Amino acid sequence: MELHLTLVFNGLATGMLIFLLAAGLSLIFGLMSVLNFAHGALFMFGAYMGTWVYILIGGWDSPWGNVNFFIGMGAAALIGVILGYVVERFTVRQVYGNHLRQILITTGVMLVVGELVKVFWGPNLIRVVQPEFLTGNFMVGDVRLTYYRLFIIIFSTTILVLLLFMLKKSKLGIVVRAGVENSDMIQALGVNVRKVFTLVFVFGTVLACIGGYMWGPYQGQVNPGMGLDLMLIAFIVVAIGGLGSVAGSAVAAVLVGLSEAYMAYYFPPGSLAVNMLIMATVLLIKPTGIFGAGR
Amino acid sequence: MKTTAKETGTSYTNGNTNVLPEPERKGRLLDLKSLTGKRVTWIIILLLLFAVPLLITKNSYLFLLTNIFIWSVFAMSYNLLLGYTGIISFGHAMFFGIGAYSLALTARHVPSGEFGFLLAILLTVGICFVLSLIVGLLSLRLRDTFYALITLAVATIFVIIAEQWRSMTMGNDGFNFTATLSRDLFGFINLLDRRHVYYIALIFLIAMFLVLKRFIHSPVGRTLQAIRDNEERVASLGFSVLNYKLISNVVAGVMAGLAGVVYAISIRFVSPASVLGVEKTIDVLLMTVIGGVGTLLGPIIGAGVVEVSSHYLMGLANIHPIFERWVIMFGVVFILIILFFPAGIVGTINQKYKSKKRKGKSHE
Repeated sequence: MELHLTLVFNGLATGMLIFLLAAGLSLIFGLMSVLNFAHGALFMFGAYMGTWVYILIGGWDSPWGNVNFFIGMGAAALIGVILGYVVERFTVRQVYGNHLRQILITTGVMLVVGELVKVFWGPNLIRVVQPEFLTGNFMVGDVRLTYYRLFIIIFSTTILVLLLFMLKKSKLGIVVRAGVENSDMIQALGVNVRKVFTLVFVFGTVLACIGGYMWGPYQGQVNPGMGLDLMLIAFIVVAIGGLGSVAGSAVAAVLVGLSEAYMAYYFPPGSLAVNMLIMATVLLIKPTGIFGAGR
Repeated sequence: MKTTAKETGTSYTNGNTNVLPEPERKGRLLDLKSLTGKRVTWIIILLLLFAVPLLITKNSYLFLLTNIFIWSVFAMSYNLLLGYTGIISFGHAMFFGIGAYSLALTARHVPSGEFGFLLAILLTVGICFVLSLIVGLLSLRLRDTFYALITLAVATIFVIIAEQWRSMTMGNDGFNFTATLSRDLFGFINLLDRRHVYYIALIFLIAMFLVLKRFIHSPVGRTLQAIRDNEERVASLGFSVLNYKLISNVVAGVMAGLAGVVYAISIRFVSPASVLGVEKTIDVLLMTVIGGVGTLLGPIIGAGVVEVSSHYLMGLANIHPIFERWVIMFGVVFILIILFFPAGIVGTINQKYKSKKRKGKSHE
C-alpha cells in the first residue's frame, strides 16, 4: 500500500510537470495546427537559462536560496517570452498554412536552439538542487513524500485551474477556444487571429520554459538530451488527450506520469513502450484523442 | 497516363514541377540536341565515378565518397516520403538501423560469408516490409501530423531496444565486426577492400536511382504526387489514398533498410547513435531539404553537400570550438532554405532553368 501511494504521488508530480510542457503544445496545435517540433528544445533552453541564472546569483547554498529559485523561474519565463516571440514571428508565421513546412521549420528551430544550448552551456549535464524550503520529506501515515514533488503538484494544478478559468471566462480565452474550433470563422468575425496566434505561441513557450526549469531540480540535473526525450512524451500526452484540449492534456499527462512512475519501479526500459501502447489504444478507439474535438 | 509513360525514358526532370504544360514537353522531346548532350554528360560523369578508385588511392576520400553514395540512397528513400508523398517521417533511421544491425549481426554470428550476407538482406527486407506496413497502417489513417509523431515514437523504441539488449547489440557502445567481414564474398568481393566497397555502393546507388525513377514515373508514382498536391481530390476520384501511401511507405522503408546494409559494410561498426538515432533521421531530412525536395537528383546533391561540409567543418574544430557545433550552421541554412528556397538546390536551379526557357520562348 505504501509503495502504491508513493508511486501514485510520484506519478502525479511527473504527470503535472509534463502537463506544463504538453499544455502549450496542445494549444498551439489546436489553434494554429502547428505540430511544434521546437517545443522540446524551447523547454530545454528555458531549463538551462533558468538554472544558469539560479546558479549565477548564488544558487541553493546562499542564504537567499529560496528567493534565488524564484528569480531563476522568472528568468526562465522571460526567456520563454523572448524565444516564443522570435520563433513565432520569424519562422512559424512565415510558413503559416502549410503543415509540411511548419513541421520542417520547427524542426530547424529545434536543431538551432538545441545546439545553442550546447554552445552556451557546453554538452555536459549541469547539476541543480531544489532550494532549502523545498528540500526534505514529510510523512503521511507510513509514507515518506518529498516537498519538491508536492510543490510541483500544487504549482502545476494552480496553473491548470487558472488556464481553464481563463479559457472559460476571459475574452481572450473565448477567442482561443473559438479559434480551436474554427480559426477562419473568428477571423471573418473581425478578430486579429495572427495576434492571438503569437500570444498563444508565446504563452505555450513560457509554460514549457517554466516546466523545463522545474524539471531540473526534480531530476537533479539539466542535460542537452532532455528536450527530445520530454518532447516525445509530451507529444504522446497531447495525442492521447486530444489536440487542442487543455483538460485532455492534464488527464493524459497524469495518466502518462502514472505509467512512467510504475514502469520506473518495475521495468524502466519499457516505460516508453507502455506509453506508446496507451496512445495506440486511444487512437485506435478514438482518433481525435480522449477530449479531442471531432474534426 | 500514356503521355507520361512516354516521357519516362527521356526526361531527367523532377516530379516537383508536376506536369509540364503540353507544348513545352513536346519541345523538349523534339530537342534532340540538348538531349544527347545531357546523355553524354551523364555517361561522362558515370565513367568518371567508376574511374575514381583507379585515380585516387587515398582511402579516406574513397570512404567519404562511398558514404555519400549510401547516404544518397537513404535520402532518396526519404525523399519518396517527403517529396513525392508529402508525409514527414521522424523515424526513418529505424529502417536504416535495422539494415545495418542485420548485416552486423549476421557478419558476427554466421560463419559463411555468402549465406550471412544473403540472410542479412533477407532479414532487412522482411523486417522493414512488415514494420513499415504496421507503422503505416497505424498512423497513415489518422491526420497527417500523426505520422511524424508515431514514427518518432516507434523509432525511439527501437533505439531503446538496441541500447538495452546488451547480449545481442552490446548496448550503447555498439560493436565492431571488421574481423568477421568476408574477404572473398562470392569468390571475388573483398569487403575489407575500400575499392570493392566503393563499387558496391556506386552500383547500389545507380540501381536504386533507376528503380526510384521508374517508380516515380509509374502510375503509382504519379498518383502519389497527386496525393501530395491535393489529397481530397485524389480521394474523390476514387483512389484509395491509404493504400498508395502504404506502398510509398513500404518502398521507402525497404530502400532505407538496404542502404543500412551497405552502410554497415562501409563503416564496419554499429551502435545506436551511429545508425539508429533520431539524429540520423534529421541528417537525412537535412540532406533531402537542402538538395531539393521532390527532385530525383536533390537527395544525392544534398547528401554530397552535407557529408562533405560536415567532414571539413569537423576538421576545423581545432581552429575554433564553434566548429564542433557545426549542426547549428546546418540548422540555420535549413531554416533559410525552407523560408526562401523551399525547392532546395536542385529544385531552385530547375525553376531558374525553366523560367529562362519560358522567357526565351515568349521572345520568339
